Amino acid sequence: MKSRFLFPYWCRYLGLVLILVHIPIVMFKKDLGFDLHETQPSSNLFNSHHLFFMTTTLLMAIGLFLIAFAKEKIEDEQILQLRLDSLQWAIYVNYIVLVISLIFTNDTEHILFLNLLIPLVFFIIRFRWKIFQNNRLIKE
Amino acid sequence: MKNNIRVERAIKNITQADLADQVGVSRQTINTIESNKYVPSTVLALKIARVFGKPVEEVFILEEED
Repeated sequence: MKSRFLFPYWCRYLGLVLILVHIPIVMFKKDLGFDLHETQPSSNLFNSHHLFFMTTTLLMAIGLFLIAFAKEKIEDEQILQLRLDSLQWAIYVNYIVLVISLIFTNDTEHILFLNLLIPLVFFIIRFRWKIFQNNRLIKE
Repeated sequence: MKNNIRVERAIKNITQADLADQVGVSRQTINTIESNKYVPSTVLALKIARVFGKPVEEVFILEEED
């Protein structure tokens, strides 16, 4: 069975590298010259706050995206089904959280951020968990 | 749906990994099919039956609740 629109297997490691690169950038933002408090009031595009937000978010989102949608070593029909199931779960969870956060907060930047992360993170966790369960089953 | 894959494998004396190789799926997939956790597609069921040289109905059997 052919699975389309997936990245090659090695993209999973590229994704991991991108996420690992993104963590120190966020941790040392002041040392890198992104002092968020100074520039926050300005609303221009491409000020340092916007640039920082853009680079870190893109690094993380692309990293997660590559991890989530890289092919498995053996990409067969069961993997395809697990992928689809996990994707459905991820969308459900995402919209439940979205609805709850729309009702209880008006912090749009964080809602956007959550909305960006939850589908991918939840998908990866659920998908990996199912694969782990299948692997464990084989050892019994 | 039940299946006789474990029995047929024993008759042919092949392992899950051998069967997985011959039909082009992972060993995990064969394992979950054998333990009735995953229902294979028609294509995969036909391929498995072909490895054992039997019609699909002899390898995969419908149950009452299906």
